[in-house]
Amino acid sequence: MEGRLANAWRLTVNDKNFIKTALLSEIRIDGRKPFEYRKISIKFGREDGSSEVQLGQTRVMGIVTAQLVQPYRDRPKEGMLSIFTEFSPMADPSFEPGRPGELAVELGRIIDRGLRESRAVDTESLCILAGKFVWAVRIDIHILDNGGNLVDAANIAALAALLTFRRPECSLGGEDGQEVIVHPPEIREPLPLMVHHLPIAITFGFFSNESILLIDPTHNEEAVMNGRMTTTVNANGDICAIQKGGGEGVPQRVIMQCLQLATSKAASITKQIKDAVEAFNTERALRKIKRHPTSTGVDVREKQNQ
Amino acid sequence: MEVDREDGRSQNQLRPLACSRNILHRAHGSASWSQGDTKVLAAVYGPKAGTKKNENPEKACIEVIWKPKTGQIGKLEKEYEMILKRTLQSICILTVNPNTTTSVIIQVVNDDGALLPSAINAACMALVDAGIPMRHLAVSICCCVARSGLVILDPTKLEEQNMKAFAYLVFPNSVHSVLPEGSLSVQGEPIENGIITSVTHGVMSVDDYFYCLERGRAASTKLSDFLRRNLQQQSTDSSKAG
Repeated sequence: MEGRLANAWRLTVNDKNFIKTALLSEIRIDGRKPFEYRKISIKFGREDGSSEVQLGQTRVMGIVTAQLVQPYRDRPKEGMLSIFTEFSPMADPSFEPGRPGELAVELGRIIDRGLRESRAVDTESLCILAGKFVWAVRIDIHILDNGGNLVDAANIAALAALLTFRRPECSLGGEDGQEVIVHPPEIREPLPLMVHHLPIAITFGFFSNESILLIDPTHNEEAVMNGRMTTTVNANGDICAIQKGGGEGVPQRVIMQCLQLATSKAASITKQIKDAVEAFNTERALRKIKRHPTSTGVDVREKQNQ
Repeated sequence: MEVDREDGRSQNQLRPLACSRNILHRAHGSASWSQGDTKVLAAVYGPKAGTKKNENPEKACIEVIWKPKTGQIGKLEKEYEMILKRTLQSICILTVNPNTTTSVIIQVVNDDGALLPSAINAACMALVDAGIPMRHLAVSICCCVARSGLVILDPTKLEEQNMKAFAYLVFPNSVHSVLPEGSLSVQGEPIENGIITSVTHGVMSVDDYFYCLERGRAASTKLSDFLRRNLQQQSTDSSKAG
């Protein structure tokens, strides 16, 4: 086991000092300004509810699936939302397979709090038959490449996947109206989820020098920084969640500065996500039209008869 | 006997292949392989110091981690890990770096049939990208026997579910050698006729199985050509950058 620990990556003292000294002159090693985000690219898979987000060198995949289950007894009219985070050993040599470590659990909790507590996803619309059948939506987040700032990238991946996910339409049937019939996607068009707003997570990095503040730290900067704070805000200016677990103490005015910065960044990221989802939905609609050439043929013949 | 396949392919046609290497930044080697809609991502880390407890320290060890798209890791994933590990152990030269572990991590991005063969192909490309010494590459193909007795290649998920039986076959890649013919053959047969791995599901007759092998071998030549072109192209690209 000691052999495995020896494989852990460590930043050299020279590298650390270089990063700190450069930050004093507001220079970051990848050429960004302190309050600049890396390039975000959002791609979707063939199926509904699968997204792949690249934030600089960080790469995260989000998959959304849903299942019909019995609701909790104290909440019979609400659906369920659960988030599973997998820190794949693919992303970083120090990630071990098996039980999720503290970082993975923390990441999952931040995203969960942002979506659930702020009621971004409407769980009441997931109820089919109160007390008997509700949809349980499951979000799987796979971290593929750790280039720093996994929380933000994972959050965007989860949101993008939720916005493009479609659940099958179901209706009540049977003799007493107590049976649920799930319609396959070929018969009836599946429905999107009701998402009220998009909570965007923005991560800040703090250093021992009070005047140094960073947004979207890379992997190297994360190894050097002394404290981090993740604020989850939406484009309306609401604060959904703030997470600052330990690390360097920060004065109040810096926190206020961070929150203001976060709100402005959230607006641009929200627009980017919505544009990407819009493009995917257009492409999906085009694909559906191409898939049914026979149905359009029948329509033409009927018109000629008239 | 003509067969109507949903996507209009003939019984011997493979789906469009796409492969890219070096897509991840932290991993030592990475590759993404897609056959039609089935897409698999493979990453390689290694060699790392030390081997696991029950492994032979005189040889290099290969560790495979299979990550499904969703859900918990169960017996099926463990089985895939074992098959992949044994296949890769037979193609890598294990005596070059003794007492080391090379980790291969497979992430399923989309499963539309022939998942294990895609994963084997992706893992092979990722090992090449990482520079792990290998004897030869492995090309993998899925052949299935329909209820009518027809043998078709590279099924989609729907086709796989309606088949009587199917077989995942792994062959060594075809060799382009400057050495005289015959020097690379084993017992009079060329090296690419050997079967590295064969996993079957369902019941098929012996004749059907041999027919599958023949078809698989023919398809593996096509796959080897694709691999060779892909690797040569990317190696010239990187030399331009360097």
